[in-house]
Amino acid sequence: MTTRTSFDPASEPVLRADEVRKSFQVGDREIEVLHGARLELRAREHLCLMGASGAGKSTFLHVLGLLEAPTEGEVHLLGKRAWSLPMAERAALRNRHIGFVFQAYHLLPDLSALENVTLPARIAHSYGTVPFDKAAHTAEAVDMLERFGLGERIHHRPNQLSGGERQRVAIARALILRPEILIADEPTGNLDTGTGERVLEILFDETQRREASLLLVTHDERLAQRCDRVLVMVDGQIEADSEVMIPQ
Amino acid sequence: MYRRFLSWRYLVRRRINLIGVMGITVGVGALIMILSIMTGFLEESRKTVRGSLSDVIVQPHNLPRADGSFVPRSAEPLLAKLREDPRVEAACPHLSWAGILLQTGMDATESEYRLKDPQGGELAFAHFVGVDLEAEFETTELRQNLLREGSGGEGGFRIPVDDPDDPFAVPQSHEEDEFFAWVVVGEQLARVHDLYKGALINLVTVVPDPFRDELQPSSRKFRVAGTFRSGENEIDLSRIYMDRWELSDFLSDTHEYTQVLVKLHDYEAERETIEADLSRELSAAGLIHHDRSLEVRTWESFRGSLLGAIENERALMGIMLALIVLVAAFTVFAILMMMVTEKRRDIGILTALGATPRSVMSIFLMIGMWNALLGCTLGTILGVAGALRIDAIEMWLSETLQVQIFDREVYLFDHIPAVVTPVAVIAIVAGALVATALFSLIPAWTASRLHPIDALRAE
Repeated sequence: MTTRTSFDPASEPVLRADEVRKSFQVGDREIEVLHGARLELRAREHLCLMGASGAGKSTFLHVLGLLEAPTEGEVHLLGKRAWSLPMAERAALRNRHIGFVFQAYHLLPDLSALENVTLPARIAHSYGTVPFDKAAHTAEAVDMLERFGLGERIHHRPNQLSGGERQRVAIARALILRPEILIADEPTGNLDTGTGERVLEILFDETQRREASLLLVTHDERLAQRCDRVLVMVDGQIEADSEVMIPQ
Repeated sequence: MYRRFLSWRYLVRRRINLIGVMGITVGVGALIMILSIMTGFLEESRKTVRGSLSDVIVQPHNLPRADGSFVPRSAEPLLAKLREDPRVEAACPHLSWAGILLQTGMDATESEYRLKDPQGGELAFAHFVGVDLEAEFETTELRQNLLREGSGGEGGFRIPVDDPDDPFAVPQSHEEDEFFAWVVVGEQLARVHDLYKGALINLVTVVPDPFRDELQPSSRKFRVAGTFRSGENEIDLSRIYMDRWELSDFLSDTHEYTQVLVKLHDYEAERETIEADLSRELSAAGLIHHDRSLEVRTWESFRGSLLGAIENERALMGIMLALIVLVAAFTVFAILMMMVTEKRRDIGILTALGATPRSVMSIFLMIGMWNALLGCTLGTILGVAGALRIDAIEMWLSETLQVQIFDREVYLFDHIPAVVTPVAVIAIVAGALVATALFSLIPAWTASRLHPIDALRAE
C-alpha cells in the first residue's frame, strides 16, 4: 500500500510542506492560523521548529503528521501527496512512516508498557504493511525498553510509571516500526531538567541509530542547539531568514 | 487483530461492562427458560388432550332434519362408513354423559340427603364414558392410561386394574357380583374421594323421558375396578369409564352413542382437509345432521380454545421478556456512550498511531458485541440448564421459600414441562446479538466521528 520504490531519499526531502494554509471556523468568523507555511525535512536530519505560543507550530505539526487536513497546500511524505490519498491509505502511511512523541506522553492507560510499544506493529499488521510477528516485535520492544532503562517495568501500566519512564515508553512506541520520520512535540515539556536530559539523550541517540529524521518542536533554545537546523515560526509562517544551520 | 485485542482489553478493564453482560445474560436466560416451559406446556397439552381424544371427533347432532328424519340411533352405520375411508386407521364409539358421583356406602335416603346439600364435599361432578374396549384400545390411549404410573412417579397413587385388556372384569380378589357393574375411574377422582378397589359408588344423572318430554333422575351403583391416568387433571378428576351398553342401560336406553372417535393413518397430512371431507361424505350418507354444523372436528379444533390460550400466553411472555433483552441492549448503549467519553484521548492516540475512523468504530462495536456474546453464552447455558432442571429448581425454591410455586393440582400436569427447541434458542440469541449490535452502533459511530486533535487534547 505504501511502497517507496520511486522515492530517492538522497535527492528528495522525506517530508515537504508546500504553501500550507489552515483556517478554523470560529462562530461566524474564519481564522487563518497557517498562512502558506513551507518546510523540508531531509533524511536523517534533526530539524527544530521554534516559535512563540500561538504562532501555529502545533497546527503545522498536526498537518505535517497527517492528523489535521490543510485548507490549502500539500504535504509530501516520502514523495507521496499525502493529503490527496484516501483516508485509509493516509492512515497506513502515518502508521508506518511517522512516529509521534507528545508532551503528554499519550500512552493507552489500559495497556502495559510493552503492549503500548507493540501497538503500532499490531495496527500495521491490519494494513498488511508489516507482518505481525508477535515474538519478533515483542523481542524488539523488550530490547528497546531494556536499553531505555525500563527492563523491570515492561509489564507496568502507565499509571505505575513516572513521567520520564512514560516518555521513554512513548519514544520506544514511536520507533518500533523504524519510521523514517519522528515528530516530537515538546517531548521534555512535562519533565524536570535531569529527567528531560535523559529522555533527550535517548531520543537523539535512537533517531541517529535508526537513521530517522527528527522534527522537534520546542521552546527550549538549548534543545534547539542539538539539532541540525532551526526554523522559527511567526504568525503561521516560517520566517524566511530563520533557517539556521547549527555546526555539529 | 488489534481491534479485537483492544476491544477485549477495554471490556475486561471496565467492570461496568459486567452490568451489560449480566443484563443480557438475564434477558436471554429468562427468555429461553420461560419460552421452553411455555413450549413444554403447549406440547404436553397437545399430547395430553390428544391422548384422551383421538385425531377426529364425530359428534352427530340429534336434531330432526328438514324431512323430519334423524341420524341413525346406532353407531354402527357411522363406524362402518368411517372404516371404509382409506385415511382412517381405527374408529370407536363413545357414549358420553354428565352426572354426579356420590360417596360410597350410602343408602337411598342418605344419597337423597346428600344431593340436597350442594355444599357437601362428597359430591363430585362426573363424566361417564361408555366404551367398546376393543375398538377403544385401537383408537385412543386408554390402555396406556390404565398402565401409566400414578402421579408423583413410582409409588404414586394408583389402583391398577387386574387385567388391562379387560378392565371392567371382576377383580380376582372379589367375587362375582351380579348387581353391580365394574368401572374404571380417574386417578385423581379416586384419590380425592378415597376410593379403593371394590369401592361402591353411586352415580346419579338425569335422562330424557321420550314419552313425557321431561328429564327423569336416574341413579345406579357401580364398583371401582381400578384407576386410569391420562395426565390431564380435568379428565383424571372427573371421568369414569364403563362398558357402553352398561351406560346405555343406565340411561334407560335413550342413547347408544354420542360420539365416534377416529384415528387417522397420518393426521399431520390430513389435518387441513379432513374436517370438510368427512363432513361432506357423512352428511351425504345421512350419518350426521348437516355438513356445516361442526359435527366433525379435529382434536385441535375440539380443544382449540385451550391450545390457543397457551399459545397466546407463550407469545405474550415472549414479547414481555424480549423487553428485558432490549433494556439490556440499552444498558450496553449507555455504557458504551460513557466509554466513548472516557476514552476520547485513547481515540486520538489510536488515530495518531494509524487507526482509521472505521477501525475506531469497529473497536467500540466489538465491545458491544463482546457484551452480547458473553451475555448470550451465559444466558443460553443458564436458560437451557434452568429449563431442563426446572422441576428440581421449583421444588428447591418451594422448600426454601415455603411457598408452593407450581400447584400440581391446578395445572394439567404433575410436573413442569419444558421443551428446549434449538430454533427458538438460536432465534433468541440472534435477536439479542442484533439488538445489541444496533444499540452499539450509535456510540461506535460517535467515537469514529471524534476529531483526532480534539480527542488528543481531551482531559
